[in-house]
Amino acid sequence: MTRVLVPIKILEGGSVSPGLMNLLGTVDVTVLGYHVLPEQTPPDQARAQYEDRATDALEDLSEEFRTAGGEADHRLVFTHDRKKSINRVADEINARAFAVSGVTGDVNRILVSLSGDVTVERILTFVEEVIGDREIGVTLFVAAKDEEAAKEKIDSAAKSIRDAGIDVRTETATGPPFGALMDAVPGHDAVVMGEKAPSLASLVFGEEADRVASASIGPVVVVRYDEKLDGEETPPES
Amino acid sequence: MSEEPTGTNIEGEAPEAEEVIETDEATITDDAELERTLGLSGGLAIGIGTMIGAGIFVFPGLAGAEVGTAATVSFAVGGVIALLVALPTSELATAMPKSGGGYYFISRGLGTLAGTVIGLSLWLGLVFATSFYLVGLGYYALDGLAQLGITVGASPGIVVSVIAVVAGIGFTVLNVTGTENAAKLQNGIVALLLSMITLFLAFGILDSLGIVDAGTPPGEAVNVWEAVPVMSVAALVFTSYLGFAQVATVAGEMKKPGRNLPLAMIGSVLIVTALYVLTIFVATSVFTQDALEAAGETAMVEIGRALLGAPGALVIIVGGLLATMSSANASILSTSRAIYGVSKDALLPRRASRINLKYGTPHVALGMAGGPVIVLAATRQVQLLAEVASFLHLIMYGLICVALIAIRRDEPEWYDPDFRVPGGNVIPTLGAVASFGLIAFMDPVSIGVGIFVSVATAGWYFYYARDVNLKGAL
Repeated sequence: MTRVLVPIKILEGGSVSPGLMNLLGTVDVTVLGYHVLPEQTPPDQARAQYEDRATDALEDLSEEFRTAGGEADHRLVFTHDRKKSINRVADEINARAFAVSGVTGDVNRILVSLSGDVTVERILTFVEEVIGDREIGVTLFVAAKDEEAAKEKIDSAAKSIRDAGIDVRTETATGPPFGALMDAVPGHDAVVMGEKAPSLASLVFGEEADRVASASIGPVVVVRYDEKLDGEETPPES
Repeated sequence: MSEEPTGTNIEGEAPEAEEVIETDEATITDDAELERTLGLSGGLAIGIGTMIGAGIFVFPGLAGAEVGTAATVSFAVGGVIALLVALPTSELATAMPKSGGGYYFISRGLGTLAGTVIGLSLWLGLVFATSFYLVGLGYYALDGLAQLGITVGASPGIVVSVIAVVAGIGFTVLNVTGTENAAKLQNGIVALLLSMITLFLAFGILDSLGIVDAGTPPGEAVNVWEAVPVMSVAALVFTSYLGFAQVATVAGEMKKPGRNLPLAMIGSVLIVTALYVLTIFVATSVFTQDALEAAGETAMVEIGRALLGAPGALVIIVGGLLATMSSANASILSTSRAIYGVSKDALLPRRASRINLKYGTPHVALGMAGGPVIVLAATRQVQLLAEVASFLHLIMYGLICVALIAIRRDEPEWYDPDFRVPGGNVIPTLGAVASFGLIAFMDPVSIGVGIFVSVATAGWYFYYARDVNLKGAL
């Protein structure tokens, strides 16, 4: 079964909107409660003080996810480095995607970004699986310099999604990918995107997913980059 | 042998213990995971960053004035002793990669009394060391002011005290309220310092050997190649080596502890030893003893000036400020971790390890570090502060070696270090003898203060925590 990691700033009022819970009702979820500490504070010291409160909150959240549909468990981590913790846990539980929580109501239509160097098949398989037989529409989005290439990419993707019985719209843009994606967000309740291989840009500007999440306000689901799988021709069957 | 600590302190608090699984990337407890986030470079930065301030920027003048070029031997002796202790510490740290460092090993290997004495001495030893770094910082700031053409009138000593105290308050407040990630800054400062020092030394050595002539005044220190003076200088400058074991206080946060802990501890000792010996060689080749003595704590500034003119002096002043700051800051951080380790085991009130809700920092422990530091820094007693710091650390170093021998003799089931010191008990035995032996060469007043602190901490054990049993508990 596909598993999605949902990292939450558990001690700083982090929460999951009902819309995201419902959207992820078709997959298994691991809620990762994390607490980032300044380097002056040993993680163990923070655990002694906060563990019980955090665990209570996480148990409640997992229960809500279970009510929404799928299996759910939780992990709690005290860390100096949020990114490292999220990646480590995602690897350990073999998560296909992780979700950056945001505000949304019922999810009726999701925006799927296929811009840039991402594995389209993996993203589409994931989207199909999450939507299942629910009435959720998909807007595929590609921003590329070359209009022709963008059209080609999006048409084949749209066909594959349509074949799965999902309502599809398409949108292409030639502007800068980030700004164009933001322009496309209105009218959608969540964004799905692919994680790119670690790059210089992500070191300088921070993770793209975080930027998208903070700019779009709504939840963002990031299909993870996988060195082993992304080398292969065929999309993996879950 | 029990695997769990038992007993309670006078307030009825028991040591906190929980079964954990250590992996390379995290410590897994029942309900939570503690991420390991420090890499090898972070560990080296703590070790080198703590040590480098004193040995290069404060001691060359003081040590060279005593014995001339023979001070290179004093520093080498210090380096060998540090290495003899770093090896056993590495073995213990890979077997017990937890916060608390030396305190943790000794309390588990030798029991609660030795543990309390060392835990509290580590705290106070770090307090003395931090004050020493801050006074050094004060002297460098004073020289910096002079370089900028600001003279401070008749009482420069008071100015040094004021600067040291203000810096001490500043670092404490910064550590309580600062939530920015200063680790990266620390790494950068250490890298910058290392490259500055390497360039400076390269030039100084070429000059000393006569390959380049920077027009330095003729004068080579008269050398005192005698064992006793060389050893007493070694005892004085040993403060320059306090820092490698601080790496063990963050053992719980180190990635791949089995590999990175030994590399960071042993590597930082080797690197700073080489730099110290070369610095002393340059310093004593450029200046005579009289000149070194006159220049005192900031002799390196005058050496920089002699070698490279005013820019040379400026480089050394900036380096000295950065180095003493990084030493002081790293030590305050280690102190708060040392206090946490002790308070977790109920040897100090549990509230000492409370975390501030607003900033998420251990404000009580940081205050217990910063408060006494400020008082001691105001005294400006460079030699006393340095030697008492060394005394308290050397007791711990000696006992770490003894603890290793004790644990090896009766290996508990959980004892499974990734790194084992080769050669049986030879190295830990030498390490213990050398650590305790070096104390004999200190100034009697420093020894007196050191003994007083140790006796007071033992008194605390009998009053507060005599029923707590930590020996052999993981």
